[in-house]
Order: sequence, then C-alpha cells, then structure tokens
Amino acid sequence: MPSWPSNTKYISHDTRRIDGPEKVSGRARYSSDIQAKGWLYGMILRSKWPAAKITGINVQPALEIPGIKAAVTVKDTPFTVRFYGQELAAVAGATKQACLDALRAIVVQAEPAPLFVVNETAAKKENSPQVWAGAANASTPDPKVKGSPDAAFSQCAAVIEGFYTTPVQIHHPMETHGNTVSWTDEGLTAWASTQGISSVQNSFARPLGLEHSQVRVITQYMGGGFGSKFSGGVHGLLAARLSQAAKAPVRLMLTRFDQALAVGNRPSTFQRIRLGALADGTLHAFDLEDYGTAGIGAGAATGGGGGGVSFPAPYIYRVANSRVSFTSVAVNAGSACAFRAPGCPPASFGVESAMDDLAVKMKMDPVELRLKNDPSEIRQREYRIGAEKFGWKGKYQTPGSSPGIVKTGVGCAGANWGGGGSRRTNAQAQISPDGSVEIRMGVQDLGTGTRTVIAVIAAELLGLRPDQITVKIGDTRYPPGPGSGGSTTCASISPTVNDLCGNALQQLQAQTGVADARGENWFAACKKLGVNPLIAHGNWIPGLSGKGTGGVQFAEVDVDTETGLVTVKKITAVHDCGLIIDKLTAESQINGGIIMGMGYALYEERVMDNLSGVVLNPNFETYKLSGIADIPEIDVTLINMPERGVIGIGEPATIPTAAAIGNAVANAIGARVCSLPITPAKVLATLGKVPASIASQT
Amino acid sequence: MNAFEYATALSTDSARSLVSDQGMYLAGGNDLLGLLKDYLVPSPKILVNIKSLPGMDAIQPGDKSWTIGALVTVAQLEHNDAIQKTFPGIHDAAAEIASLQIRNVATVGGNLAQHSRCWYFRHRDTVCLKKGGDLCYARHGENRYHSLFTGNTCISPVVSSLATTFAALDATVVVLRNGVETPMTVAELYHRAWENPLAHNSLNPGDLILRVEIPTTRPRSAYMQVSDKHAFDWALVSCAAAADISGGVLRSPRVALGSISPAPYQVQAANDFLEGKTLDDAAASAAAGMILKDAQPLESNGYKVPMAHALIRRTLMKLKG
Repeated sequence: MPSWPSNTKYISHDTRRIDGPEKVSGRARYSSDIQAKGWLYGMILRSKWPAAKITGINVQPALEIPGIKAAVTVKDTPFTVRFYGQELAAVAGATKQACLDALRAIVVQAEPAPLFVVNETAAKKENSPQVWAGAANASTPDPKVKGSPDAAFSQCAAVIEGFYTTPVQIHHPMETHGNTVSWTDEGLTAWASTQGISSVQNSFARPLGLEHSQVRVITQYMGGGFGSKFSGGVHGLLAARLSQAAKAPVRLMLTRFDQALAVGNRPSTFQRIRLGALADGTLHAFDLEDYGTAGIGAGAATGGGGGGVSFPAPYIYRVANSRVSFTSVAVNAGSACAFRAPGCPPASFGVESAMDDLAVKMKMDPVELRLKNDPSEIRQREYRIGAEKFGWKGKYQTPGSSPGIVKTGVGCAGANWGGGGSRRTNAQAQISPDGSVEIRMGVQDLGTGTRTVIAVIAAELLGLRPDQITVKIGDTRYPPGPGSGGSTTCASISPTVNDLCGNALQQLQAQTGVADARGENWFAACKKLGVNPLIAHGNWIPGLSGKGTGGVQFAEVDVDTETGLVTVKKITAVHDCGLIIDKLTAESQINGGIIMGMGYALYEERVMDNLSGVVLNPNFETYKLSGIADIPEIDVTLINMPERGVIGIGEPATIPTAAAIGNAVANAIGARVCSLPITPAKVLATLGKVPASIASQT
Repeated sequence: MNAFEYATALSTDSARSLVSDQGMYLAGGNDLLGLLKDYLVPSPKILVNIKSLPGMDAIQPGDKSWTIGALVTVAQLEHNDAIQKTFPGIHDAAAEIASLQIRNVATVGGNLAQHSRCWYFRHRDTVCLKKGGDLCYARHGENRYHSLFTGNTCISPVVSSLATTFAALDATVVVLRNGVETPMTVAELYHRAWENPLAHNSLNPGDLILRVEIPTTRPRSAYMQVSDKHAFDWALVSCAAAADISGGVLRSPRVALGSISPAPYQVQAANDFLEGKTLDDAAASAAAGMILKDAQPLESNGYKVPMAHALIRRTLMKLKG
C-alpha cells in the first residue's frame, strides 16, 4: 500500500525552484522566446466593429508588402462578427513592421450593424439589440428553491438586503497567449504558451485534419494561464495555416491589445442578495437574484453556448431556506472563459459582503457570525488561527468608529475549492548506471513549480537530493498527463511520482539484488545495472491525494475619507491543502492569489464604450493591476495535513481576498462600497461626497 | 508606424530647419513613439533628434530665477538636492511621474508637450473630436478621468504634473518660435487647449521648448496627487501650490490643479484671497471652494470635486513645511 513518508527531508519543507536559476538568468525559454529556424512573425487583423456582416476580405494588398510571406482569412465571407476585436484575417512576415503595415493594407468590406449592445444592464431589456439574431440576450431565469424562503424571511430576527456587483475581469497573464507553429509535410509542431499540452494537441489536430501523432506540442516554460490557455485558440489555428502557406515556422503571440479583446474573461455579476438570520445568528433565509455577462459566450437558448455566469451560492454557507436565480446576458463583447476559481471570487464578494452587513445589523462580531455558520471544521480552525495571528480582537471596531480622516478597518472572508487529482497522469523514469535519474511527464508548468514538485517527491522517495533529479516535462512525446487547471496539478503528479518511484525501486531491487537502493546505496545499486538504463513507469494511484480545500483571509486597510484612496496594510492568510509538498512554492501560490485578488478588489475592470462598442482600456495604463507599491505585508500560514493527501492550492488563494478587503473598507468608513473595484471615486460616492452631474442638475 | 527620416540636430537653428513644417522633435520619445505607433497624429516626414543640442540638459541656479533646460530628465529633477531644497514642489511632482525607467529618459520639454491621455483619443478605432471627429465620446460616455472645467467641448485634461507645478511657481516657458525666443506663461502654453478641441497646447508646428525659468520669489512649494494606485498611475487630480511665507502670512500665493481641465487650472480670485492671509485650514478651505465653485461635473467625474478640495487644502497646508 503506497503512502507518504512521515519523517521527511524535503516533502513539506522549503525547496527553491529547481529551475529558478534558469528563470532569473533568462536562460529559460518561454514560448514567446522560441526562434525556430527561418521563423516569421504572425499578426491578426481584428474587427473594428462590435457587430457587422463581413462581406469581403481582400488580403492581396498585404501580400504585396515586402517581407510578407502569407496572409489568410479566418473564414470565407460572408460571416458575422459579434464583438469588437473578433478575428478577421492574419499575416506572416519577416518583420513586425511588415506585418503591421500588412494588417493596414488588408481591405475589409463590412456592413456594420446599426445597433449593438455592450452593457449587460441594457442588454437584458426586452427591446435591446440582439447579440444572437432571433434569441433574447437574457436567459430565462430558473430559480432553485430550497425550503420555504419567503416564510423563512419573516421568521428572521434580522434581514439585510444588498446589491453587490463585480466587473468583467480580463485575462492578462504576464506572457500573452500564442504559439510558434511549424507545419510541414511531416506534421505540426507547436511551441505553445499553454496550461494543457494535450488539449492543445487536440485543438490543432481536429480542425486541421491531422492525427494526434502528427502534432507535437512543446511548452518548456510559460508565463501564466489562469484558465484561459487550454486551447491553441483561433490564433493558434491561424498561425498553423500561415505556417503552411509560408512554408516557415510562424510565431504568433498576441499583443496586450489583443489580449483585452478575445482571450476570455471572468463574467460580471450583479447580485441582489437578501440574507436573514435567527436571533442567535444562525443563517435562516437566503435569496439571490443575479445577472451577469459572459460576452458573446452568453445568449438565450443559445447561440453563445450557455455562458457560465452562475456561481455557487450562498457559497460556503448552508442556509435551510434559499432561492437562487441566475440570468446570463449576452453582449457584443469577447466571451468569458474559465478564470482562476471560476465563479468563486464573485460568489465570495457577494455573500461575504452580505454576511458583514448582517453582522453589523445584529451587532455581532463578523468572525463570530462566521464561526456560528461555517459548516467546515477546518475553516473554523483557520478562522481561529487567523484571528489570533491578525490580532482581530484588538483591531475590530464598530464600523466607521475609527477616528480621523484616514480610517482603519478590518475584514475577513473564507474560501472553498474542490481540486483533486486526475487518473490520466503517467510518468516514466530512466535510471542510468551512473545513478542519474530522469523523470519524464507530459505535463506542463503553469508557473506553480511543477518541475520542483516532481523533483522534491522523487528525491524524498529515492533518498537523493532534488538537484539530482532531472525533470523533463512540457512535451507531448512524454507519457501524457492532464492539463493544469482547477488546482489539480499537484494532486495529479504527486501520486504518480510516488507510484513511479515505488516501481523504480522494486525494479532496481529485482535487477540488482540490492534490497534497499535508496540514499547512500543508490549509486552502488545503479552501477550494478551494467550498461543499460532501467525504465520505470508510474500511474496515478488513489489514496495519496485528496479533495476539498479551504482558507480564510483577513485584511486591514486604511481609507482616506477625503480622497477615497484605499491602502491595504496587511493580509493574513490561513490555508490548507492537505499534504504540502513544497512549502515555498505553496506559499508563493498564496502570495500570487492574494495579489491577483487585490487587483480584483481595487483596480481591475474592463471598461467598454456604449457608443462605439470598443474596449476602452486595452492596455496596462488604464486596465490597472496591483503594482509593487500597492502590495501590503502578506502573512501566510499553511496548515499541513498529511493525512488528507495532496490537494491543490492555486484557486482558493485568490477567492476571499476581494471580499475581505471590501469588508475592511466597509468597517473603516461605516458604509458599504457595493461594487468592485473599490476605486477612490466609489468610496467618495459611498460617503455621499460627490456632487450630482450637471446633466442631472438641469 | 510609418517610415520617416531621422536626423540629429546639433544646434537649435539646425533643429528648426531640419524639422521644417513636416517634422517632429524627438527627445525622450515616451509620448511621441506611442502616438506614432498608434497612428494618432499625422505621420511626420522626419524625426529630429534634439538630445544632442548643447546646454539644454542643465539645471542652473540663479538669484532671481533658476533655469531648467528642456532636455533635463525628470529623474534629474527628482534627484537634484538643490531643487528639492529650493523648489520642493518640483521634486515631489517629478517623483510621482510614471515609473523609474520612464523618468530616466523623459524630459522636461516632453513632459510639458505631451499629448492627451483621453482613452478615446488614444484608442486606435475611435475618431473623437480631438482627432477631427464630430463627437466628444467622453462627454457622453466614460468620463471618469476627464475634466471638470473646459472652454470648449473636449474634456480631455492636461496631465503634465510639471505643468501644474510650474504654473504654481509662475514659471516662464521659453519657446523658440520662428527663430525668436518667445516667453510664455504656463497659462499661455496651454491656452489653445482650453479653447480648441484639436489642440493639446499652444505650440505651433516647429516650435521648440528651450527651457523653463522659475522665479525664486516663492521659497515654499508643494505638489500632491491622488491616483487609483499607489505608484505608476496617472493622477486623478493633482495640485501644486507655491508661496512665500513671512511672519506667518502668505505672500504671492498660487494654486494650480492638474487632470481636471485642458490647461492647469488656476483661479486668480483664490490667489488674491490668500494673499496676506495666515495659512490655516479655514483659509485653505475657502480657497478650495473658490477654485472649484464653477466645476461642471459629468456622469462619472464628480468625485474629482471633493478630491480636489482635499488636495488643495492639503497642498496649501504642506507649504507650512
């Protein structure tokens, strides 16, 4: 029966990334660094209309520009575009400037639609322009009812009502989306910036009519995906067709501008919540009516494919009587897609805001209200640990009672995530007579430290050091593994490497007669292999990983009540993820999740223009991300629970941050900023300091 | 961007003749390259590199006034101890500009001459009033970053923090125009933007900013801004104030605001009101009210009124040291 060792040298300790030196020295080659022999730049022409019928695309003028080797259209005309930035055509050329000139040379004939809609509140009205012809923009709500919510509200000692909103958050990983694709008679090779080399292989093979064996996907290093990089994408297929036409590899990495339009995003939410509790604080009734947009990914009945705007509600809490209703609204904008902990950050912001509003109304300490109602024993423990470390009791004050112009406030929120490992994970080890170990797995490093996790486990189980393990990943020629999403990578690869090492030791014993080849016996045992290396295989096995992870975060903020500026002073995070493999990379995930959550709380928001239909902030100048000067002290505590097996941590880390910060702001100023991001403008408006516009004065 | 010729000028005369009427000057290039890459301005036939012009990258102290060359970098201003001592407002404004990397190459002249940051103007696929279109989209659309005051229909605000500070210090910007050194107040430098939606300052093609002259009559100066973020973000509102304080009372006080008007916003009546007053909260607050009383808030920028009010008070109080 395989198990995890209890006395460990590396597992659950701090190991620096084994590829850290490669990364910081610039030797690590990310997908955007690939320079295949004879490569060309690829670029995409996008629709400048939010809705139009494209009746003709002439790429011939582009081909006449010096340096341009190929130009293709995305499909045959006529076709309909439904959002600003939808792909129309693409070019490949020897220089960036040639490509840019070529894009401007392409002649597009279009019949712009006279009407379109980019605002979800406008789009759900009955007479709104239809994003998908013949289908209403808004789905028909299908309320889910538990118990008797209407009767239950009248039994409550306290009921609060709020309208909590979250914006569309754009996927902006540090490395943009893209591939270098080389398509020859022998097959197709894609150096992809992806979180799923196998799913990218599939996304190329099927539409291009290739066998999987003809498609090789390589991802040595990639700069973040967060749910948006499972497929080669429209841009990948365009790169493939350009490569075929130009007879040369084509590197088509999206620009930051492209990124804002067409790679996916987190849907918006507009949550009308009623929450009621009995006199002792027990939650008794919950009502949520939400709408939000997944862009063209939504649409009734539905051209858009359903549009996942719904989320778990009332999220981590169990309420005996509830009604939950979602309306998915189509607008003329890029589609939503999976985004780090899909559904959960907005779910957390809505219900945790309501929880604090309820606590205020009931004159209860918000932590006490959570301890009373949170069904997770682990999270209860985390609240107690976190409150102690954060100094909650000393810091929590009656809302708005902080003295002075700059007011201090505190807040907290909890997270829940599933995770779990994938059975479809395979590994191979080659153990050579010189004692060297090479482990090959067809997985990829999303940036979370996959290579290091593999090396740490192998080193522990073989009695070696992590730097003695050579890890090969990111190539579809290695034994296949799952995509990196849903916080499943660690729980997929860890049991597999455990199995692999067990098998390797058995085989080594069988072939060499050394009873225990680990540690100091390793090199002598391997020497006995003679000339040929040993090959061992590993598969994912049950019993070594788990599911279900929690976490809580506490935030302390300063709010300048004259300027509206929010400064986060401290975040205390307590999380669990079962057996921790590498404490250092796990903590790094929490730090990253919190920093991303801060952006969601205070800065990030896709802004669209109703008149022109364009995204107004397709850059980091006005699509604002947390910067170094914004980041507070982050205090991370990880509870190690070896008995639960390995569980992922990527998603839960980012879930409660915005809710905790929102609650801290409300605690500071004694009023709720109901809408993310919490900008100075919204703080001043919430405080009633903003004069009416001249339009409304007349 | 479109192709252009490139030349390096070694004298202001040759710079002027090289640039003729179809060229543009290149210094730090932060603003210019962005404009050219996004095809936001008519493509110049020639870019004239002015970074080798002699004597324009120096900060020269003087009894009655200091001279700051147009090629002085923002980082030079930020790190010059004498500037920090004599004109703390300039130091504070410089230190808040963009990022360290940008400050290292951005020049004083370029900061003053930079174009609009309005997201409609900067967008490649909208043709707004400032680009010769029919409509100020911001007026009817997303105007959270826009002006509270304007003399025309365009509400794109001036974003140069140095302009705001130089206005408060009553600096003179010396511009080479048609071969003649032409002194301009900051108000004059931006007056055309106040009147004309197509303009972002009063410079004509071929005009070259040579230097800024700052009188030493106001030993106290201060600059403050509020942004959405804590660094590397544009000011939502910025404020500069300068004065002499003797015997506890204000002499020659001046207040200017940025990011709320196409030109640094100054109200003479407020300056006059503060003259001879003891600097305290009540006086600062009254001045703030006078400056903001004609504000024309739109759908989403009304928050700038209380924000500016707070900044005016705080910046004035900072003059106390």
